[in-house]
Amino acid sequence: MTRKTMTMVLMFLLFFVSACYNQKQDRYDVIYRMEPVKASSSSSIEDKEPRPFTIGIVPKVTGIPYFNVVEDGAVEAAKDLNVNVIYDGPLIADAEQQIKVIEDMIKRKVDLLAISANDPKRLVPVLTQAKEQGIRVITWDADTLPEARELFVNMVDPETLGRHLLDTLAWTMGEEGEYAIMTGALSASNLNEWIKWIRYQQTHYYPGMELVEIAATDDNPQQAYEVARELLNKHPDLKGIIGNSSVGPPAAAQVVSETGKKGDIKVVGLSTPNLMKSYLQDGSAQMATLWSPKKLGYLTVVIAKNLLEGNLPVHGQEIENVGSIRFNGDVVIMGEPLDFTRENVSQYDF
Amino acid sequence: MTSERRRRLRFNHYRLSTKLILTYIVLTVIPMAVLGIFSFIQYKESIEEQIGEYMPRFLRQANANIDNHIADVMAMPKLLLNSENTLAILRKDSYQSQADQNKDQYAVNNYLTRTYLNGSNSDILGVFVLSRNRLFHTSRIPFTGLDWESMLTPYGQDMDLRGKEKIILPSEIKLRFDGDIPYVMIMKQIQDTDNRKDLGTMFIAVQLTFIDRILLDFEQNEDAEIAMVSLKGEVIYHTRHELIGSMDMAVHEYPIWNGSFRESRSEKLISVTESQTFEGILVHSIPLEDLTARTDWTRTLSIMIFSGFVIVTTCLTVVFVLRVMSPIKKLIHLMKEVERGKFQVGLNMQRQDEVGILVRSFNSMIATIRELIEKNYDIKIRQKEAELYALQSQIDPHFMYNTLETISMAAEEGEKEAVVGMVTQLGRMLRFSVGNKSRFVPVREELQHVMDYLTIQKFRFEQRLSFDILEPHDLELYYTPKFIVQPIVENAVKYGLESRDKLIVEILVSRELGLRSGMEDIVIKVRDNGPGIPSRRLLEVEESLRQQTLTGKDSEFGLGNVNTRIVMMHGPHYGMQLHSVEGKGTEVTLRIPMIRLEDVSDLEQD
Repeated sequence: MTRKTMTMVLMFLLFFVSACYNQKQDRYDVIYRMEPVKASSSSSIEDKEPRPFTIGIVPKVTGIPYFNVVEDGAVEAAKDLNVNVIYDGPLIADAEQQIKVIEDMIKRKVDLLAISANDPKRLVPVLTQAKEQGIRVITWDADTLPEARELFVNMVDPETLGRHLLDTLAWTMGEEGEYAIMTGALSASNLNEWIKWIRYQQTHYYPGMELVEIAATDDNPQQAYEVARELLNKHPDLKGIIGNSSVGPPAAAQVVSETGKKGDIKVVGLSTPNLMKSYLQDGSAQMATLWSPKKLGYLTVVIAKNLLEGNLPVHGQEIENVGSIRFNGDVVIMGEPLDFTRENVSQYDF
Repeated sequence: MTSERRRRLRFNHYRLSTKLILTYIVLTVIPMAVLGIFSFIQYKESIEEQIGEYMPRFLRQANANIDNHIADVMAMPKLLLNSENTLAILRKDSYQSQADQNKDQYAVNNYLTRTYLNGSNSDILGVFVLSRNRLFHTSRIPFTGLDWESMLTPYGQDMDLRGKEKIILPSEIKLRFDGDIPYVMIMKQIQDTDNRKDLGTMFIAVQLTFIDRILLDFEQNEDAEIAMVSLKGEVIYHTRHELIGSMDMAVHEYPIWNGSFRESRSEKLISVTESQTFEGILVHSIPLEDLTARTDWTRTLSIMIFSGFVIVTTCLTVVFVLRVMSPIKKLIHLMKEVERGKFQVGLNMQRQDEVGILVRSFNSMIATIRELIEKNYDIKIRQKEAELYALQSQIDPHFMYNTLETISMAAEEGEKEAVVGMVTQLGRMLRFSVGNKSRFVPVREELQHVMDYLTIQKFRFEQRLSFDILEPHDLELYYTPKFIVQPIVENAVKYGLESRDKLIVEILVSRELGLRSGMEDIVIKVRDNGPGIPSRRLLEVEESLRQQTLTGKDSEFGLGNVNTRIVMMHGPHYGMQLHSVEGKGTEVTLRIPMIRLEDVSDLEQD
């Protein structure tokens, strides 16, 4: 053993000891580094998004409270979700007019069209044309033929709604007498679906009741008023009126009130609390039923945005600020209908 | 360099046993110690790394469980919307009377208790709903410090949470439950989805014990601590409940928020994962000692075993070295003895190894040397001594015969005086040669003996022989080896009378300064006028004298014998020299040291 090797051994030991010592110089000595958990997917996609989506929403008609409130909800959602919403519809509830609006939307190169259809068939060509231009199409409020759209955002289950509407009328009428239905456009598929279930429920449970007429208002308040007067004139034994579009019940209640038949002719139907509030409180209308159109507008925008991001709705999905939804493949159902009575109508603000 | 060389020399100068022990330590103990330390450190680190890798995963799992639990609680405000009645009350803006308001208050509080406190989730301490300046609340445990003014200024209805939940920590509000039960408050706006309006804000106080339950499944080590710390450093949850609410600023210094690291100050292994829900990190810390407790025990045991091993093996090495070294030391000692000339030594060693072989070789070497000495030296000396004794006591039988015949003739002729003289001389000669075994005699006696011899010869050869002996008087005290002069004189008479009618023999004794010895010597010269020695023959004779060989002719043998004896007794500075001129004569010079009586006894002993 020479001196040199001994020195080397000593140096090795020194190095060894100093290496151990050096490690303790830093207070923290990282052993293992783990990737942080990914932030939730939606926010990361938002970060990558170069520009917000543009969603075109077309109601059946503009200028009536129901669709105005829908617009409020849609705008709220647009703000929450950072998307652009173009809300535009025909002045009258007419398919031709609506097609023009849709064509205009296509020119504006929207990413997605959400339609409340005045006619299920006549809108199909223009919607197909939109699809060919890469615009995605959904429907809300009133559906088209299924081939024209990807999915339909429905407010309520039509069977539930139709049966419920007749039940409320039967209950207020005492299950007997003549009644009439004031619908919007005769071509609107959702209205016709409800009417189907109204008639089914009546023939099934209430043989003492008789449907005498189905009158169209074309979602025009003025026209609705006329229609209501006519109904009362034509059918003196009329005991009840169901309005299944939002302009119907206020017009009917107005006419009933004016003709002094308050309480004799029962008025129920789909309308907004704000429109019905005074009639419910003075007894010229017995019950209004509806969903929250604001919520519908909001939900439509949420569903549209999810779809543009490639996410189909899921049955039971919890939508922020909306609640849980139902989905059966191509129809989204927003929730249960709300009933507005003299007692609770003041709670609602639409 | 010089110092290193000196040190190296110093190491080389160490004793062999020291070197062996040092070498053992360097080659065995140090590498083993290094190996042991190295593997221990590696093992310890690998344990720490394993746990460092496993712990963050577990924390993430625990975090997910906590998040799930919180998410469950966060879903609870929706339950409020299930009640039409409650919803109607919350939608109300104003009241006609106090009684109306109290009735509603009762109804909502009742609903809250039924829905939240009696529900399945036992971790909810209390629920507070703030709606349009009304407070509805229910709680499992009495509380204090509910100060809505301060609580709501930052978190009131004015604040738009956009439907998101927010977690409020106890430090941000003054609310305290009895017993200081740790809690967090989950705040969520209640939205009227139909009217798209805020109904109010709901606060749910959740007891943090559920974290205990979640963590209990993961960590049962008492020294391990798990804490949820907000990014500001506030301890939201801690396994030691008394620390909840305190501040832990070390969080800001942590190098990472997902992973593990060693903290050197308190010797801990810290694992962290980010918590999205609490906007903080879940921290697990455990003393490194605990992780390696078993290893430390192993280390202690290993060190003890290693130390014991070192002690035992060192002792064994020392014993071994000593066992190897002791015969070597004995050998060294014996060699010194042998160096001093004592050959009667030996070492008894039955070992079969190299040391045994060495010792046996040594023994046999000594024996061989001893044998050789006996054979070649002692025996020769004895032989020589015997030879010398025989030689020095020799009187030529021819001489005896001739002398006796001469005496007989003298007796017949009636020369009475001559007979008496010769017999006396012969007797004296015989006594000289037979008596006194001493090898040294006084110079005087030696010369007397020669004179007797020559006198007897002169009787026989009458006019043909004449002699003269010259000796100084101051030589009486000195001694000479016996029989050194007579053989030379004999030789001179024998050869001289063969070739000369008249032979003259002169013997001169003197003191001379010897060139070679540097001292005064006694020089005895025997000169004759005989035939001389041919020069070539002279060289041969001188050569044989130098060789000290005792072979050759009788005459040479005589001369050689004398020379050899002088050289053997007194060294190479002394001896015999021959000078001869052919036809003229020969001079033989004997040179001996001045020998006194006291020197004789010393010389006799050799």
